[in-house]
Amino acid sequence: MFQVNRAYPYIFYLSLAIYLFSLFWGLFLTPEDFVQGNSYRIIYLHVPASFISQSLYLAMAIASAVYLIWKVKLSVYLVRSIAPIGAMTTFIALISGSIWGIPTWGTWWVWDARIVSTLILFIMYLGLISLHDSFNNYEKADKFLSILVLVGSVNIPIIKMSVEWWSTLHQPASITLSEKPAIDLVMLYPLFGSIIGFTGLIACLVILSSKLQIIKREKNKSWVKDYV
Amino acid sequence: MQPIIRAHNLSYKINDKKLFQGITFDLVKGKALHIKGENGSGKTTLLKIVCGLTKPTKGDLTTNTNKEICFIGHKNALKQYLSIEDNLTLMNVGNHQDIQKYLSIFNLDKSLDVNIANLSFGQQKKIALLRLFLNNSDLLILDEPCVGLDMNAQKILVEFLNEELLNGKVVLFSSHISLDIVSDSLSI
Amino acid sequence: MNIIRFEFLKLLKKSRGWLGPILVFTLIMIAYPLTVELTDIELGQSFFSILWIAALLVMMLATEDIFLEDFNDGSLEQYAISQNNLSFVIGSKIFIYWLVIGLPISALGSIFCFGIINQHNFSFQIFPVLLISTYIFLNVFSFGNALSLTKGSILGILVTLPMLLPLLIILGKVVIAINFDLNYSGFLFLLLGILSIIIVIIPMITSYIIRAHLE
Repeated sequence: MFQVNRAYPYIFYLSLAIYLFSLFWGLFLTPEDFVQGNSYRIIYLHVPASFISQSLYLAMAIASAVYLIWKVKLSVYLVRSIAPIGAMTTFIALISGSIWGIPTWGTWWVWDARIVSTLILFIMYLGLISLHDSFNNYEKADKFLSILVLVGSVNIPIIKMSVEWWSTLHQPASITLSEKPAIDLVMLYPLFGSIIGFTGLIACLVILSSKLQIIKREKNKSWVKDYV
Repeated sequence: MQPIIRAHNLSYKINDKKLFQGITFDLVKGKALHIKGENGSGKTTLLKIVCGLTKPTKGDLTTNTNKEICFIGHKNALKQYLSIEDNLTLMNVGNHQDIQKYLSIFNLDKSLDVNIANLSFGQQKKIALLRLFLNNSDLLILDEPCVGLDMNAQKILVEFLNEELLNGKVVLFSSHISLDIVSDSLSI
Repeated sequence: MNIIRFEFLKLLKKSRGWLGPILVFTLIMIAYPLTVELTDIELGQSFFSILWIAALLVMMLATEDIFLEDFNDGSLEQYAISQNNLSFVIGSKIFIYWLVIGLPISALGSIFCFGIINQHNFSFQIFPVLLISTYIFLNVFSFGNALSLTKGSILGILVTLPMLLPLLIILGKVVIAINFDLNYSGFLFLLLGILSIIIVIIPMITSYIIRAHLE
């Protein structure tokens, strides 16, 4: 924890710098898209957020497996502290996608495979949080949380696949995400930068949140009293 | 002689708060142990640990019996919407040879078709205790068996337990009142 | 085998447990035509979505009490101490629920299907699909209700409903398959495959959860 504390400001400022730099690059130094105009520039928020929202679930699944197999308490603290951040990024992805949808598709909501599975992911995050918070006995709550995360992690690919399968029939092809013009290299570099920067920022948030969890859960231990 | 229960240095924590620690005892055939303690001292938890429902935070527990454990807890495991007779079936004691004897001792043999919900707390407890009286176990674990019982039923219970001890069974019980059973005692 | 007999007795004597869900299902199937203009084409179009959702809802209601009652009165405690395999106990409990609730609902569903779509082969083909899907619903909701055992069934449904969405999609495809006479048996085997995985795994996970609750 103390090493993390020391590294934390470096990670934070570095990723903030990367993100702001790519944002600046993406917003001001790249040309307009000739189909979508300036509105496409929301991808510098939307793409990193949707990327992170799924990777966070994967991280939770790994941490849950570690907890169930080796009984490492820290890993379940990590699961619990990632869950709200995952919900938040999923929410950002949904909202930014929806805002993007207005100028490009002319509507807030489309029954598109990716959108639907992101919404389901969002609900699953909220379900995980409410499950954990409804038990007073932490050990029970931890067990149930990690089981549910693991079961969910088996399910998420299935949900994604089946939703894609479903939308191929119902969805008029003109408004799927794959229809947008293939991305140009000029836009790709700042996009990569923004993904890296955003990931770093989220990592900082995870560190802060897990610090909070550790202190909350171990508040009776003497080292926490010394630390606080 | 090999002990039926051997508990060594058991301790238990809930949310990192200690409930009890350093519980050590051996129980050989024909012995009883009375567990004493204040409310919330962890008597029920200790009994659940011996049953194998709860895992101790630390310590070892070995039980040496290949028969089922007979456990009478706070919850009576009776179905409120079923009759006494159906409940006896569910308890798997419906065909036991001694069942009529105990039913008539407890004055329940006339009302076999009455739903459990219509019985008093003490009567329900008596039916739950049939699980004990008709048991097929070496190890009897009782959590506050006397709660709600009248004096007569308590006497029958104590007599039964003494007889079972003579038969070489092992009894582990928690109780607030002292029972007339030859037993060691353990305070937690 | 005793376990199956006992669970059967327990469920059968509790009429709100099994008759309730069946009646609710019937009521939904009667109520939904009232919400649309009564032309046969429209009824036929929305019939299957109502059928699947109604089956889902009713299975949700049916499993609400599946472990809670046994947990509260201590029966689960006795099961866990006894030498019975807890996951077998849970598996047979779910099986009994399916036999007493899922089976009649599947039959009712295909009868309603006959009444509204009015084609024999449709209702014959929908019956096995209903049988399998109600069994899967029961399993998954039992898992959810075990998770949220003492905390109300809403929470359990919240965490398990997203997992059933793929199944609903498959069920939608099955209807299309029946409609256009495409690969119906393929879908049936797919559903059977899903069921056979779930029927093994869910009781195992659930027994782990129940043991954690009993601690």
